[in-house]
Amino acid sequence: MSESTVRMSGSKIFVRQILAVLGKDLRTEWRTREIFTSMFVFAVLVVVVFNFAIGADTELIRQVASGVMWVALLFSTVLGLQRARQLEGEEESLSGVLLALYDSSALFIAKTIGQMLYLMAVALAILPLCGIWFRIDFLSCWLGLCLVFLLGMFGLSIIGTLFSMITLHTRAYEVMLPMLFLPISIPLTIAAVYATVQLVAGKTLQDITDYLVFMGIFDVVFFTLSLIVFDFIIED
Amino acid sequence: MQVWWLCGLFVCILLVSYKSQLVHLIAMYVSMLTAMWLIFEYAPAEQMQGVVQKIFYVHVSSALTMFVAFGVVCVASIIFLWKKATWWDAIAHSAAEIGVLFCTLVLLTGPIWGRPIWGTWWSWDPTLTLTLVLWLIYVAYLMLRIETHDPKRARFAAILGIVGFVDVPLIRWSVEKWRTLHPKPVLMQEGGTTGLTPAMLLTFLVCLGAFLLLFFYLLRERAKMAQNRHAVEVLRQRIDEALGR
Repeated sequence: MSESTVRMSGSKIFVRQILAVLGKDLRTEWRTREIFTSMFVFAVLVVVVFNFAIGADTELIRQVASGVMWVALLFSTVLGLQRARQLEGEEESLSGVLLALYDSSALFIAKTIGQMLYLMAVALAILPLCGIWFRIDFLSCWLGLCLVFLLGMFGLSIIGTLFSMITLHTRAYEVMLPMLFLPISIPLTIAAVYATVQLVAGKTLQDITDYLVFMGIFDVVFFTLSLIVFDFIIED
Repeated sequence: MQVWWLCGLFVCILLVSYKSQLVHLIAMYVSMLTAMWLIFEYAPAEQMQGVVQKIFYVHVSSALTMFVAFGVVCVASIIFLWKKATWWDAIAHSAAEIGVLFCTLVLLTGPIWGRPIWGTWWSWDPTLTLTLVLWLIYVAYLMLRIETHDPKRARFAAILGIVGFVDVPLIRWSVEKWRTLHPKPVLMQEGGTTGLTPAMLLTFLVCLGAFLLLFFYLLRERAKMAQNRHAVEVLRQRIDEALGR
């Protein structure tokens, strides 16, 4: 009886600490909007530059639009992580947060959710833009798109946060983060891009079950793995 | 039957080599020379592909050795995180370096074969794509080791070693799925792995054995070097401390 109460309160503390770290990050972001702004502007830039690279063929652009969108999200993930690291590095706030935490994996989960929320905001902002520029009707398949984007962005956030923590103290952080993050996330990117392509082409949710299951497996595998190894990153 | 004899012989050689470096060296040279002779003299030329097919022995042996190497990185990384002995970190680092070397060999010998047979230097075939992505991951692994000047470097690298290897089946699945969306070029056919005659199989197995022996020899030397380097670093630190710097 007493053991279960201890465990209950332990998990309660855990959830509360996740929310506290997340709340702190989101509050800082809400006041400055530095991370979102740089991610969003960068994503728009990537889409625009790709638009020029592909040329004036509207049919071709429609075909590659989903890929371009995911590449934009991928790059802005890297940019957002770099920005967050800069802001945190200025104050050395991470070690302070770690001291206060009951279980350090709360930090990982909070950072992953935070990163995912930024990504979702960016995706929500660039989807209508892409819809207008590339003449794609995203509204017709919004439910499927929501699923694909949630699973895809959760995976990207996990991998991104994990490698951001690993490369935190490297000399060439700006180079090392994308070099680790991009190749590892290739499978997820492939699944997300082709699921989006098929949805936009008018396929139903059942046609993309394979991709959704795959993304689910990817997320679960890497989330579990990250939680296991996270203590090794933090401990001294 | 012949295959099982060869495998048994190989395991015996490996066990003895583990104990004695001299035996390892001799076994490596003998198997290398035998493999060369088998490839160029003994193995018959393939009917359709001719002499070009002979690169298959080197190519596939390198590819399998590469997977063994990356597997060693993963296992050594897990043991390192668990036991915290620098020896396992040295093994993982060395295996990653040699694995990248073999991966590069695979990426070089593949196009040499593909050009005359497929009519193109490169195709985004699942296996090729997987190898390329693996190369990128493990080059990043080596760069992470160079760029981190932190006592935690070994731990970070170990985590990447595990994550990278876990990623392999996922990459495999995704590139296969991705590839089937594209039409197969007419020039391309399935790789020449099927229908090996007994002579070809023998040549291949000896070649694979030689490559694995080479890998383990390089691993042994490289890990010893890493261990020595670590010892020197520790000594230097101690001297600095003693001099009060």
